[in-house]
Amino acid sequence: MLTALLEQTVNGLMAGSVYVLVALGMVLIYGVMHVLNFAHGALFMLGGYLCHFFFTRVTGSYPVSVVLSMIALAAIGIALERGVFRPLQGNLRNQVIASLGLILALENLVIALWGPNALQLRVPATETLVPIGELRFALQHILVIAVTFAVVLALFLFLKLSRLGTAIRAASQDRQAAMVVGIPVERVDWTTFALGTALAALGGALVGPLFLVFPQMGDAPLVKGLAGILLGGMGSVPGAVVGGLIIGVAESLSTLVLPTDYRDSVAFVVMILILLVRPHGLFGVRVRGED
Amino acid sequence: MLKLAAVTGLTLALFAVPSMAADQPYLIHVLVLCCLYAIPAVGLNLMLGYTGLVSLGHMGFAGIGAYTAAVLMVDAGLGFWGALAAGLIAAAVAGAAIGAVCLRFRSHFFMIVTLAFGLMLYAVMNNWDGITRGAAGFPGIPRPGPLGPLSFGSLQDFYYLALSAALFAFLVQWRVVRSDFGRILMALRQDERLAQARGVNAMLYKTGVFALGSALAGLGGVLHVAFLRVAAPATFSFAESINIVLVVIVGGAGALAGPALGAVVYVGLPEYLRVASEWRLVLFGVLLVLLMRFAPRGMAGLLADGWQRLLRRSP
Repeated sequence: MLTALLEQTVNGLMAGSVYVLVALGMVLIYGVMHVLNFAHGALFMLGGYLCHFFFTRVTGSYPVSVVLSMIALAAIGIALERGVFRPLQGNLRNQVIASLGLILALENLVIALWGPNALQLRVPATETLVPIGELRFALQHILVIAVTFAVVLALFLFLKLSRLGTAIRAASQDRQAAMVVGIPVERVDWTTFALGTALAALGGALVGPLFLVFPQMGDAPLVKGLAGILLGGMGSVPGAVVGGLIIGVAESLSTLVLPTDYRDSVAFVVMILILLVRPHGLFGVRVRGED
Repeated sequence: MLKLAAVTGLTLALFAVPSMAADQPYLIHVLVLCCLYAIPAVGLNLMLGYTGLVSLGHMGFAGIGAYTAAVLMVDAGLGFWGALAAGLIAAAVAGAAIGAVCLRFRSHFFMIVTLAFGLMLYAVMNNWDGITRGAAGFPGIPRPGPLGPLSFGSLQDFYYLALSAALFAFLVQWRVVRSDFGRILMALRQDERLAQARGVNAMLYKTGVFALGSALAGLGGVLHVAFLRVAAPATFSFAESINIVLVVIVGGAGALAGPALGAVVYVGLPEYLRVASEWRLVLFGVLLVLLMRFAPRGMAGLLADGWQRLLRRSP
């Protein structure tokens, strides 16, 4: 029992790390631009595919492919901010519907280019086993958790200490006031978008080797990431980290008592129950423009 | 008056299609599918277009109706009409119950919670093997039995049924929009606080429209599985919920004819464009983004603008 508990906790932390990467990108973008990008899961998936492409066609090195796919997605993120989300700013409904359009376009573009079947991303780290106690985990599992931890740490330092990070925080606290004191909010917008989509690409590139690369691979991380954000409190960066991890661990542990098929529903039930009790999430950030 | 004549003419023409094109079962097949998409779209139009509730799990409620009817017909041996009524009621009750939870949340929160419920309903349809037969689908759903002198076994006859159901849905939409209930819904979309200050019980009306929209989704769902003769979870997935939003938006949210225009464009156009289905959805995705940027009122809005311009030009 204890072994199973440990195993599911590590699995949960791994899944949770992936949700954290997705949630962080969405929460940063939401904070600065008040955009809820439902296409973030599709961008996550695109990150996985581009990593596969760079890995098999361009370089044989997995870390280089991950970085390349992050750069490519950052560029796509900037294009989307310019072409789609900025012109629709201020109209939440239209932004959400446009992002649904992006899901359709991206998922089916990938199917048209790479076919509907799952692709394998064979990297050495999936075959190396790491013993923890009496269990063995693929190195990639540990890698996902470690990389996410490092990225979260770096992101916090960036937001706290750097000039741009401070500008991002200022713009998400009060956009108008940030403009008044001379912060170039439009530059903040597109850099935040690039940062957010690059984090999604990192997530896709990290899980690709573990669970294959396929057109719907972003759907679950999208909704779990959203659940994590709501759980942590909309607009709260630490909340997104804690919320994502809670969702990941909760759904993994639920498999000990419930059929695995309902693992996804556990995340939503947790989210809805917590929201009914605490409408502003665990970290209780009150967002401007909400009720 | 002109409008009434046009709608009557169009209805008669649609009913005359099978006798004019008896040798074209493919055309009739496509028209049936248009009706089957238009019916849940009318439900969503009442919610999204008129009340401003963007539900991202709409097809989950179509699934509740469809699976309720399927279980009653196949396992309990109930006739089609009884099962249809039960499916509608089940979808409406589920819509009221789940809606009451979802409607405690606003804007983004509402969208995400409806999305979550849509996915949970899908998970149940996909995994509750004992009742729904799981991912493999629920086979052996009978075609509707005869109703008095009318029978619905053949494709043509089913077309009459689907068309009548679609007309019924549009009639409901028209009645609702022209009623006090509908005016309150629109007031809630425009300014909920103001409406509440005027004494409107917002929660009650929004739950009501959620239940009504879900019932219409259920009607579409039951007919869909009766047409395909199999209920599959994929018919009610998240992707289909997005597609139905697409139908409403492309047609024109908050326009009476919106769902019909949207369904014709969504189902009909690709059949004649003859492109691979992936590219067609890529096209629709891009179209959705472009519509949001340049014509957020959809086809109905574009047509209305064109008509206005035409009227102005001819003195």
